Amino acid sequence: MKSAASAASVVPMSTPEAPAGQPATPEPDSRREAIIELSHTGVTFETRKGNDLVALDDFNLTIYREEIVSLVGPSGCGKSTVLRILAGLQKPTTGDFWIGGGKTRQGFSEVAIVFQRPTLLPWRNVLDNVLYPARVLKGRADKDDRDRARALLALVGLEEMADRMPHELSGGMQQRASIARSLILDPKILLMDEPFGALDALTREDLQLDLLEIHERTRKTILLVTHSISEAVLLSDRVAVMSARPGRLQDLITVDIPKPRGPDSTARPDFHTYSQRIRDDIFGPRTKRDRAQ
Amino acid sequence: MTPALRKIILPVATFLAFLGVWQFLSYAMEIPIYLLPSPVDIFHGGTRLGMTMLTNTGETLKTILIGFACACLVGIPLGVLVSVNRTVSEMIYPLIVFLNAIPIIAIAPILVVIFGTDMTTRLIIVTLTCFFPIMVATASGILDTPSEMLDLARVAGASTMTEILTVRLPHAVTFIFSGLRIGVTVAVVGAVVAEFVNANKGLGFLVTSSTAQFAIPTATACVVMLAIVSVLLYEAVNWIHRGFFGWSIKSNVGD
Ligand SMILES: Nc1ncnc2c1ncn2[C@@H]1O[C@H](COP(=O)(O)OP(=O)(O)OP(=O)(O)O)[C@@H](O)[C@H]1O
Ligand SMILES: [Mg+2]
Repeated sequence: MKSAASAASVVPMSTPEAPAGQPATPEPDSRREAIIELSHTGVTFETRKGNDLVALDDFNLTIYREEIVSLVGPSGCGKSTVLRILAGLQKPTTGDFWIGGGKTRQGFSEVAIVFQRPTLLPWRNVLDNVLYPARVLKGRADKDDRDRARALLALVGLEEMADRMPHELSGGMQQRASIARSLILDPKILLMDEPFGALDALTREDLQLDLLEIHERTRKTILLVTHSISEAVLLSDRVAVMSARPGRLQDLITVDIPKPRGPDSTARPDFHTYSQRIRDDIFGPRTKRDRAQ
Repeated sequence: MTPALRKIILPVATFLAFLGVWQFLSYAMEIPIYLLPSPVDIFHGGTRLGMTMLTNTGETLKTILIGFACACLVGIPLGVLVSVNRTVSEMIYPLIVFLNAIPIIAIAPILVVIFGTDMTTRLIIVTLTCFFPIMVATASGILDTPSEMLDLARVAGASTMTEILTVRLPHAVTFIFSGLRIGVTVAVVGAVVAEFVNANKGLGFLVTSSTAQFAIPTATACVVMLAIVSVLLYEAVNWIHRGFFGWSIKSNVGD
């Protein structure tokens, strides 16, 4: 109170002026509520030889509720590291981060993760795998949890597979199960590290559309790491492009393709404009000669 | 002939042929019974004992099973402890390796002096001989857990204990069972050593006492019985593995 009053007395003009006229901040910032904030976050690994490896340097990113943000960049630029920080698997060596305003975490009910590989536990059937986060957090899964797990399996098209063992499922089905598992405790945030990377093109397309549909229904905040530029454009509200070592935020692109999106969205001219911009960010603009041939 | 049938018939036929050749040679060359009894002699040596053979087998089996159970109760938790906690590992692992390096046969008589001539001493000897492979197998299984599974458990909010119970131990099951398979056969050896130095019953005792009376066929029959017990126990461990932890066995071709 005191500081606000004194600030107002020193610069009386600035405070009432700001919200009225200029849209100084980008459009989403002013309307929405931040749910993830990374501020000047850096991670340095000590290698065996004793020299330091800067995996992430001065990384700043704010993500808003219900948004889908993609993280793209060359291999080894620190995308997974960002996700591991947010998942609580990696401590930042410099800077700071906030999730939902705080730092306490309650397992998958707060932040859930989908890895590149399905990572199902081979000794549990599909249903029990989906229930695993609930078991860890509450000690046991009750009837409600089971019903929810079955509903989620139906959502990803696996209702008939509930009692199978993971090895009886195809790779795509396993990844679907792991997506269902990530949603079991209704997390606020979904972290996905190249979730479709190991899949064939057809399954991949299928799961991308599934993800859009799941997002429509559940309105989760999703942070997605991907190597596919078209996947990033198709799925995201914003695309964060990272530069190679040391990993930094290079560009932040708002994708204004109307929703709901689907296979048709990829045919739009602006889809290609966005894709080209990301490509240019990563590889540098191509020379005229390259383009002519 | 089906492949399954082949698997049984071929080794049995070979074994029978081996016995036949042995029988024929001891008959043809007139090998004295105290040097090498023929299969028929051994069979008679065993049947002469009658019920004694069975009750003593029971005694030995009891020693093996209780000692083996103790080894599991010690070996598995110790394996977990050693692989999960670095300090504990540094504190006790070298001592355990040292303990294992001591030849049990050499300290068995000393243990008899310390603990007396009853079941306790025999169980200690059996446990000491077979807990080490079980512990080492458990530890390598725990350490083998894929880091992605551990990441999953951690993001799900698992405590160290939950992580061990829900991820590490189940993953280690395959490893633990290979430790148990080795352990159970070593336990048979441990039980025999224990009965050599300290017993008035059991197959190990029968072997020493009949040898002392030059009843070589009887002693050999007891040895055969021990081999049968060992094979059956090995198969029992396999059976438990298959029956209760089937998921941990990679696609078994041909079964
Ligand atoms: N535990 C670790 N110890 C040492 N260096 C590490 C460790 N984890 C990651 N790194 C290094 O940090 C850098 C960033 O790694 P990260 O896994 O975040 O890259 P990435 O962007 O996800 O790459 P990719 O697209 O290939 O998955 C890499 O150079 C990697 O070698
Ligand atoms: Mg990665």
